[in-house]
Amino acid sequence: MRTVFVIVAREYLQRVRTKSFIISTIAAPILMLALLLIPAWMGARSAISEREIAVLDRTGVLADGVIPRLESAGFRIERIEPGTAAEDSLEIRLEEKDLAGALYLDQASLDRGHVLWRGDEGPSTLRGISIQQAVTGTALTNLLGTTEQGPAIAALLAGGELEIQTLSEDDRDSMDRAAGMAAAFIGAFFLYMVLLIYGTMVLRAVLEEKTGRIAEVMLSSVRPWQLMLGKVMGVGAVGLTQLGVWIGSILLLFGLGIPAMIPFLPEIPMADQINQFLPELGVFAFFVVCFLLGYFLYASLFAAVGAMCSSEEEAQQMQVPVVMLVVVPIVFVMPIIEDPGSTLAVVLSQIPFFAPILMFARVAAGGAAVWEAAISVVGMVLALFATAWVAGRIYRVGILMQGKRPTLPELWRWVREG
Amino acid sequence: MPQAAVRLERVTKEFGSLRAVSELDLEIPSGSIYGLLGPNGSGKTTTIRMIMGILGPDTGKVILFGGDPGETRRRKVGYLPEERGLYKKMKVLEQLIFLARIRGVDGREASDRAKEWLERLGLADRAEKKVEDLSKGMQQKIQFIGTVLHEPELLILDEPFSGLDPINQDLLEQIVKEFHAKGTTILFSTHLMDQAERLCERVCLISRSKKVLDGELRALKRAESDGIVAVDFEGSDRWVHGPEVLRAQPVEGGVRIELHKGADPQPLLERAVAAGARITRFQVVEPRLHEIFVRHAGPGAAADAGTPLLAQN
Repeated sequence: MRTVFVIVAREYLQRVRTKSFIISTIAAPILMLALLLIPAWMGARSAISEREIAVLDRTGVLADGVIPRLESAGFRIERIEPGTAAEDSLEIRLEEKDLAGALYLDQASLDRGHVLWRGDEGPSTLRGISIQQAVTGTALTNLLGTTEQGPAIAALLAGGELEIQTLSEDDRDSMDRAAGMAAAFIGAFFLYMVLLIYGTMVLRAVLEEKTGRIAEVMLSSVRPWQLMLGKVMGVGAVGLTQLGVWIGSILLLFGLGIPAMIPFLPEIPMADQINQFLPELGVFAFFVVCFLLGYFLYASLFAAVGAMCSSEEEAQQMQVPVVMLVVVPIVFVMPIIEDPGSTLAVVLSQIPFFAPILMFARVAAGGAAVWEAAISVVGMVLALFATAWVAGRIYRVGILMQGKRPTLPELWRWVREG
Repeated sequence: MPQAAVRLERVTKEFGSLRAVSELDLEIPSGSIYGLLGPNGSGKTTTIRMIMGILGPDTGKVILFGGDPGETRRRKVGYLPEERGLYKKMKVLEQLIFLARIRGVDGREASDRAKEWLERLGLADRAEKKVEDLSKGMQQKIQFIGTVLHEPELLILDEPFSGLDPINQDLLEQIVKEFHAKGTTILFSTHLMDQAERLCERVCLISRSKKVLDGELRALKRAESDGIVAVDFEGSDRWVHGPEVLRAQPVEGGVRIELHKGADPQPLLERAVAAGARITRFQVVEPRLHEIFVRHAGPGAAADAGTPLLAQN
């Protein structure tokens, strides 16, 4: 075991110290943070620096509706009463660029939603649309208010409402359900990525040892299984480190980052609302289980493929079947998250090679019973033993073979005789 | 006689339909320098891999230090494979420490020994360099250090001199002799006969997966001594070719003639005198290892000829 430890330590330290590892580990969360925070920050900044817009209402009925609508869309509004000194000074203030612009509401606004904007420049397209919507929406409400069927038409125009009554005991509210689906999708996709990334990393590590003819030096002192286990565990430890940093920074973001932003961003939902989107502890633990089992399952397959090949190009081809095993579940992940109780979902998620991604997705989406998850874990563990046994035998023979890659019957012989 | 470091008993190994090693018996006495000679593809590397326990024999027995080639026994062996391999991205010193540690040497001890060796081979200033930044010859030396760092009792060197310049070849030869003087058993595998002749006490010649000769080098030479004639002469060389001559090789000052087995050198001398050559030396000599090798492993050595001799490295 000490030998395996020395191999693991080498593999781990060599990888963790590379620039690419440090950059990808640190840059990814920073990039994510930046993507989240920069738009919010920019929004906050522009909202503060934005000059006011004057609204002059000659109809006497529109302003009360238009102004709240505009304000909720982020405008800062100054209401000007017609016929006052404020109206007289309006033109001068526009020229002095004291105001960003002025909106003139009149009978045409009521009749056909026409509104005049005056300013040193026009509003941005998006803001233009907001202005139009505020005006037409108010005019429409105004118009409907005068007829008997007004409220009905207004409700219909607003898009109606879908009321859901489920017959099952499951009374999770829709917010919970959405959060579960989000966690299922993000988690499944994340698993897909890390299984591929670290799997191919194992393949490369094995291939390096084979093409660099290091295998023979190593195998004169250590057993093939020790070498293979050392590789797989070393790369796995690298993966866990990276995951740890990433997950840690997510927790940090939700725990400290967003609450710290809240004073500056009053319009952002409160932190506890966001925290609802964080998965529960059980789901989180199951994610780690799926990652570990999935990783060892695929890593041993990739190790065997690496041992079969003699060059990078050959490995590109030979890894395709293994990569397909990871891709298939991600193809089915959306329908399965949508309906985690369907036959398709139940069957696919019990196939050991798909289970790491699909069973996790079902569990996170709240569509799998505990016993189902337990069966899939048992299945994955059994598959892991079988795969490791077969892969170990292929590895043992393949790692010393140079030249042409084995045919299927040859592979079978390796496994049988290995 | 002390216990043999390595013993092979009727060992056979096949890869599919290819028989790589066939019923090989071998005994490498403790403390000896033993040459495992043979053309490429004759089964040397497979034999070594079986001694190292990397491959298991199909039939027969491999005995290393009196037992199975298990982990503890293999740790007493230093193996320099023909195909050299180091982790290219790793720093030299780290790499050496790693190689020693997987053979059970404590990290600090490994570091001290590695530094001493780097000093000795003139590589002390490269300790923190990555392996890929070193020249081939330097990598070769690093690999050698990695092979001996755990102070093995048996040193297996597969073509150890290939890729080294003459100065470093001499240095390596010197080091090998030192190990021998300390009592380390050394197994050489090579097809460079000059080197083998200089260094080895015993040799085993294998050809086409079978052993053809085995024994003490001096005894072998004596047994094979008939039939090689060294002639120094001036003048015509038309007399060199004749019915008793197997092959002739020009050397400085004359010619080295190999006769057919059992042939009498007398007619050759008579022919030379008759042809008017001025003979300054006519001597029946011990064959060089090279000649023994060619005689037994060359294309004419067996009815089922076919293996190219002394194929390119």
